[in-house]
Amino acid sequence: MKEVIKVRILQGDPIVHDVRHAQFPPLYRGLPSIADKPCFDNCRKCVDVCPTSAIELNPVRINLGLCVFCPLCEETCPERIIHFTNDYHLSASFEEQLIVTKETNKITPEKASEKIKKYFGKSLKLRQISAGGCNGCELELNALSNVNFDMGRYGIEFVASPRHADGVVLTGPITKNMTKATDICFEAVPHPKIIILFGACAISGGIFQNSDQIEREFLMKNKIDLFIPGCPPHPLTFINGLLDWLDKKG
Amino acid sequence: MMPLEVQNNQSFDLAAIPFEDRKNFRDAVLEELSNGNRMIGLYPIEKTHSEKLIALFAEPDSSMIHIIGGIFDEHNLQFESWANEFPQTNYYECELSENYGYLPLNHPWLRPVRKQNFILGDKPYHFYRMDGEEIHEVAVGPIHAGVIEPGHFRFQCHGELVYNLEINLGYQHRGIEKLLLNSNPLQRIILSESIAGDTVIGHSHAHCNAIENLSNTQVSFRAQVVRSIAEEIERIAMHLSGLGGVANDIGFALVSSSYGRLRTLAINSLALLCGSRFGRGLFIYGGVRFDYTDEIIEETIANLQIIKNDVAVINEYLFSSTGVLTRFENTGIISKESAQQIGMVGLAARSSGLENDARVQFPYGAYRYNPVSLITLSSGDVFARARLRALEIDESLKFINDQLENLPQGEIKTNVENIIAKKGVISITEGWRGEIIHTVFTDEKGNLALYKIKDPSFNNWYGLSLALRRTAISDFPLCNKSFDLSYAGHDL
Repeated sequence: MKEVIKVRILQGDPIVHDVRHAQFPPLYRGLPSIADKPCFDNCRKCVDVCPTSAIELNPVRINLGLCVFCPLCEETCPERIIHFTNDYHLSASFEEQLIVTKETNKITPEKASEKIKKYFGKSLKLRQISAGGCNGCELELNALSNVNFDMGRYGIEFVASPRHADGVVLTGPITKNMTKATDICFEAVPHPKIIILFGACAISGGIFQNSDQIEREFLMKNKIDLFIPGCPPHPLTFINGLLDWLDKKG
Repeated sequence: MMPLEVQNNQSFDLAAIPFEDRKNFRDAVLEELSNGNRMIGLYPIEKTHSEKLIALFAEPDSSMIHIIGGIFDEHNLQFESWANEFPQTNYYECELSENYGYLPLNHPWLRPVRKQNFILGDKPYHFYRMDGEEIHEVAVGPIHAGVIEPGHFRFQCHGELVYNLEINLGYQHRGIEKLLLNSNPLQRIILSESIAGDTVIGHSHAHCNAIENLSNTQVSFRAQVVRSIAEEIERIAMHLSGLGGVANDIGFALVSSSYGRLRTLAINSLALLCGSRFGRGLFIYGGVRFDYTDEIIEETIANLQIIKNDVAVINEYLFSSTGVLTRFENTGIISKESAQQIGMVGLAARSSGLENDARVQFPYGAYRYNPVSLITLSSGDVFARARLRALEIDESLKFINDQLENLPQGEIKTNVENIIAKKGVISITEGWRGEIIHTVFTDEKGNLALYKIKDPSFNNWYGLSLALRRTAISDFPLCNKSFDLSYAGHDL
């Protein structure tokens, strides 16, 4: 008994109370900012170094759906136009929102429809599908249920069976070998249902976009409700995205 | 035939590999295995030269890697299997057969490795099946109950008891080895970080060591130490995650959540250094991208101190609870003999009493000058695999503290030279699960011609199968978590 109390006291109060304004380490790479400066002499260095072809020029644009948040473009740009800020609010509700330009200073998903808010606003149960995820995204999704992030306090939880779920969270670039299981799993979720893409691989194929072992037809057939960029995305990016989308207070 | 002998990370001329005919090759492999050396690779030197095969062996006592080559007739890719006498070669032969069309004659059990339901090209594969009154089959996956990667498991049971567990993987196959050959250097590092997202440091360390040694690039001592510190933080974080996992699987919620809290501290310490909780972005060819400042060192040491204090109390509670010991002890046993026979590596092998730790036996980077202790336990059960994690966390904490207090001065990156043509290198690191091997060969232009990855999970999945024999099926989640193997690392 003594040990139980000792362990409980050590546990303290580890929860992140304010998920909206959490402290991140200074080097954490979140929403990129693009300075309003011209590129020098047709410089294409950032485009050339980007491992996932996430950057386009004239004007400089970064597609967060492709971006793996390595700092190569930031450290290569001679004009210091690109800089990764600490802002972890990155979730988007449609693909165009993922394109960061010099005008972008904030990404907030549009609110879900009244119907979705009515159905899922108080309780949202999700089934995760790992379709080629390297276990980075899976670890961060697991972390959502730990004592630090405790997503359950908002009524959002992961469940075992797709039949108990209101939607799926997809990770990984969708390997050929997982296409069938992905289809079957999503079909088993009762209507109305949502799809959340978690991480660069799920959104765009990420670093695996050129692999001949992936098959992304599932995304053509179905409407995506929420995009969570990152490699892997931070748990708080996920929580904030869902809270914004469902119009809930943090 | 005399094998080519090289050290970990020592680059060698491809022309130095001795190639013999089929029969001599087979005998040479037998001799290696008979001498107690462990197979660590079996594949053709290039995709386009599938008739030129190499076999790699580890000789831990002398820290040497032996390479022998065999030339086959390209229309007759057959060899007499070694697996009946030396079960450790079993899975390597299956992989060779699946990827390159080889036929291992008299192979005891040819199984698919990454393809589903097919062997020998297009032959349908049937799962192992037991018949009899009251025998039943339980099929699970590829999608499992938790937030976890996919894989298919088939149990043959009589009542609660499992007689056989067959594990069918490949669902995560993304074609990484092929992508690595076709990518530019900047993409390659990101790819190596994504082989197994829970072993970012282990795999990118092996990858960078390989490329640096192929290009004769010297990495500064400070950078090597930073790399090792990151590797040990990753080990601590994932061992905490594993301990939390086994505690969770027996419903020990307080302990499980406490380990989870400490894991957050560990991975946040990595984020302090490089911005990513998994160490992404830290490794570059020629060193590391980020350096330890006094401020980061101070905060990291403070975090580690909390982990050290708390973990001691939590371990005491976990390992002294009768209920826990009842579930952990004598569950999912792998004997030392079995572990040796099937070629298990890393944490799981050490839990069965095998001395197997690349940091000690094939030292690389900073471990050459700052050794760690090799810890083994002998019972080979869930208890041993959990307890060993606890012991290794202490050892890693000590290592990191020593290194952070005496961080060598110097640059953290050096210029990378061009990759030299027609060379090969075998790069071994000890990820938190065990031995990671990246084998890289270059062609006459200095482009990568062969990239072969072996994650420790490749060796250890079969260990999980064996651990389940004569074990209650209700203990499967616990056994599985005590191994905590990678699907992505196996499937590549």
